[in-house]
Amino acid sequence: MIKTNRLSFRIIIRVLIITTSLFVVILLGYNYYTSKIIREATKENAIELAGNLAGRIEQILQPMEKIPEMVASTMELGLIHPDSLDIILQNILLRNPTIYGAAIAFEPDYFPEKGRYHMLYAYRENDKVHSVILGGDNYNYFYMDWYQIPAIMQKTYWTEPYFDEGGGNTLMATYSVPFFCTRDGEKRFAGIATVDLELHWLTDMVNAIRIFDTGYAFMLSRNGMAVTHPDRTMIMNKSIFSNAEEWGAPIMREIGRELIRGESQFRQYTLPGRPKLWAYYRNLESNQWSIMVVFPDREMYASLRAMNTMLIFFILVGLILLSLILSGVINRLSKPLVQVADSARSIAAGNFNVKLPQITTRDEMQELRDAFAHMQRELSTYLINLKEATAAKEKIESELRIARDIQMAMIPHTFPPFPDLPQIDLFAMLKSAKEVGGDLYDFFIMDKDKFCFAVGDVSGKGVPASLFMAMTRTLLRTIADREKSPALIMESLNRSLAFNNESNMFVTFFMGIIDLRTGILHFSNAGHNPPVLLSASGEIKAFDISKSIPLGLFEDFVYTESSLQLKPGDQIFAYTDGVTEAENKSDELFEEERMFSILEQQRQSSPRDMIRLMSIAIEDHVGDHPQSDDITMLTVAYNG
Amino acid sequence: MLAMKRLYTVLFMIITCLSQTTGQDNRIVFSPHWLPQAQFAGFYVALDQGFYAEKGLDVEIIHPSATVNALTFLEQGKADIISLFLVTGLEAARNGLDIVNIAQFSQHSAIMFVSKKESGIESIEDFQGKKLGIWMSGFQEVPEALMAERNIQPQWVPIMSTVNMFLLGGIDIMTVMWYNEYNQIFLSGINHDELNSFFLSDYGYNIPEDGMYTLRQNLEERPEELRAFAEATVQGWAYATANREYAVELVVDLMRKANIPSNKAHQRWMLGKVLEMQQPRDKEVYPTQLHPDDFRHTISIIERVRNTRFPLGYDQFFKPVIPFTEYQPQP
Repeated sequence: MIKTNRLSFRIIIRVLIITTSLFVVILLGYNYYTSKIIREATKENAIELAGNLAGRIEQILQPMEKIPEMVASTMELGLIHPDSLDIILQNILLRNPTIYGAAIAFEPDYFPEKGRYHMLYAYRENDKVHSVILGGDNYNYFYMDWYQIPAIMQKTYWTEPYFDEGGGNTLMATYSVPFFCTRDGEKRFAGIATVDLELHWLTDMVNAIRIFDTGYAFMLSRNGMAVTHPDRTMIMNKSIFSNAEEWGAPIMREIGRELIRGESQFRQYTLPGRPKLWAYYRNLESNQWSIMVVFPDREMYASLRAMNTMLIFFILVGLILLSLILSGVINRLSKPLVQVADSARSIAAGNFNVKLPQITTRDEMQELRDAFAHMQRELSTYLINLKEATAAKEKIESELRIARDIQMAMIPHTFPPFPDLPQIDLFAMLKSAKEVGGDLYDFFIMDKDKFCFAVGDVSGKGVPASLFMAMTRTLLRTIADREKSPALIMESLNRSLAFNNESNMFVTFFMGIIDLRTGILHFSNAGHNPPVLLSASGEIKAFDISKSIPLGLFEDFVYTESSLQLKPGDQIFAYTDGVTEAENKSDELFEEERMFSILEQQRQSSPRDMIRLMSIAIEDHVGDHPQSDDITMLTVAYNG
Repeated sequence: MLAMKRLYTVLFMIITCLSQTTGQDNRIVFSPHWLPQAQFAGFYVALDQGFYAEKGLDVEIIHPSATVNALTFLEQGKADIISLFLVTGLEAARNGLDIVNIAQFSQHSAIMFVSKKESGIESIEDFQGKKLGIWMSGFQEVPEALMAERNIQPQWVPIMSTVNMFLLGGIDIMTVMWYNEYNQIFLSGINHDELNSFFLSDYGYNIPEDGMYTLRQNLEERPEELRAFAEATVQGWAYATANREYAVELVVDLMRKANIPSNKAHQRWMLGKVLEMQQPRDKEVYPTQLHPDDFRHTISIIERVRNTRFPLGYDQFFKPVIPFTEYQPQP
């Protein structure tokens, strides 16, 4: 099977299209000019054939015409005795084998003693010459064309051809010459001298003409009647005009009329339901009969068609050879390409040491090969560098993983944390956006009956934030050992963090301390999102406290604290802005509204379920979008 | 020319050997008034299809020549029935031949004059002094009557048989039959629009033409055979009307056998026009009836041209052999 996507195939197709178009153009041009030459040559040939034929016929007609003309002039001179006319006519026939008959016919009562009619006629019968006297009521020659027409028109006349009945069905035509006499000083028409021409030989002569395979010639009379024709039943029966009617071919009538006008033409014409024909026609000078040569168009161009067939055959063979040769050449030339492609695949598969084909052709192939070799070297170098970089990165990542483990170990994640404290139920979750994060939460028991919890969010992310977070968490535990009020703890924490804080990092921070005996919650906020209080009564609202400013910015800032009385069943939901600002692909935030609506639905749930479902809702919202910020949630339930 | 003489003197016998040859009494020799052509297609078809034989007739068709006409055959007893133009039949009767019309086929005149447009002859008044060709064989009365009525004196040139004189310009005007020479001129390369045509019927001379004639004595002796012949001929015309190509081929074949120049184009034209002439058109006439008005009109022309009285009455001259009661009444 031919691979149509091969380079060689495509080149060959293009070359073939171009060469074939070229050949077609050349062939068309060749055909056009050769047709023209053939047409011209055929025209010359037809003109010559018809001319020769006309010449041969004229050679017979013209000497014949002289005879009655001489008889007529002799009659006018009155040199012949009327009784010797039959001898003269017989002599004419004996000396002129082409003449079938000859006559002298006189006007009515020309010789009063001979009666109204007087006509002498010599004719051939069975190779003998006879003569008779004609004329009478049964042979009223005065009204026959051969007599009447020249008599009235007073000029010579070739009759239309007619059949000789009884003389072997021979076709004849008569040439008539009027003669005159002077009587009583007046020149008067006296009679007609004629010769008869038997036309049998004419048919044979014209039918002998052959043009190509089936081309032929024929003659028409002045009225367009067939005088000769290869189909002898046409002769004297059909005229070019009657055929025009029978065949429904007005063109024939047009040609016939041109012939009558004596026009000569070489032209193409088509008869209904027949192949195209060519014709040449011309007149005979003597009697205005015409010669027409007809041949089929396809025969005229038969030699050209044969030549064309051969040419097309050779061109086809040539094109096939060209394709084969081209295919071989292109495949050889493009072989290195295939090898280079193979090498490229090997390189792609990671085999950088694959050997490229040796090309020494100093052409585009070698350039390609050299470019490949260069690429191979560059790729190799790059990969070595990449390996080193990857190794370094892996090391950092591994360290970060360890850092994360350490960071995670810093925050409590055993739930429930105080199984022996029935007043408190608690759940918390921290999900870092990167390996390590800046969010934190913490909770612990102070002085046996005080429960402290805190949530914070360090500015920035990553390792710096995680270190700051670790610092904050460690300081919180240390300070909480000394101070017992949230405000004091926050102030102390702030002072420690702000001290030497060159990098200007800070942490938003919320902490609360529940007195487990009374249920009073003391809390303080440093720029953190106010937590949500889910009252046992069903009310849900954010803590009504000032946000204040985050820890770590101003060393001597004074933080305030507030308190409220928790009732059994109250829950506190604290979170970082990673919850409300969780983004999806379309940059839409999770928003407080949604968070509140979930809290509304889940206010009866345990802290664990509440956070789990909140987490699921956030994941649903974010979808595949990478997590942009650390997410931290903590829920404390006060059971009284 | 001997050949021509022979052509014109030898009678073309088309003999049909009918299988059911009956007695001498059933034999009928018919001669049309011209050589075989589609003008007489009905007779040839009746013979070829055996319509005559079906009627028990032994029919032979003989043909006249340019110099021996059908009337002579009838006079000499060589033909029992002949066809003639109405004018020719009336003229024969006027000249004393005891002839009767037994069926009239043509109901209209097909005679016309033609001139070449290039001659400048645009109306019949222009015929004055011009050479006018006219057939020698006996129907010059009607053209002569028209010329006389209009007081036009052309130079009459009798013509025997061809249109060559007209084609060559030897005569200026030619009397032609619409179904015949008019088309011969066309088939010699002259287009219709190159001719000026003058139909005599347009000048008040719509004289019917072809009819069937016999001697009164024949009619009295053999009325049944004549009737059978006429009926079979009517059948022949009907068949030719329904089968024109067949009729044309039959006629062309007969013409070939008689060595008369022939082609289908011309015979097809002729048959079409002859059948047209047989249609009554606006005339209230039975098929094969000679209308009394046509009779009176024609004898008035003859009487005027010949300056004499026509001796016979309508009922004496027209003796239909087919009773008109056999035809459907004309609309």
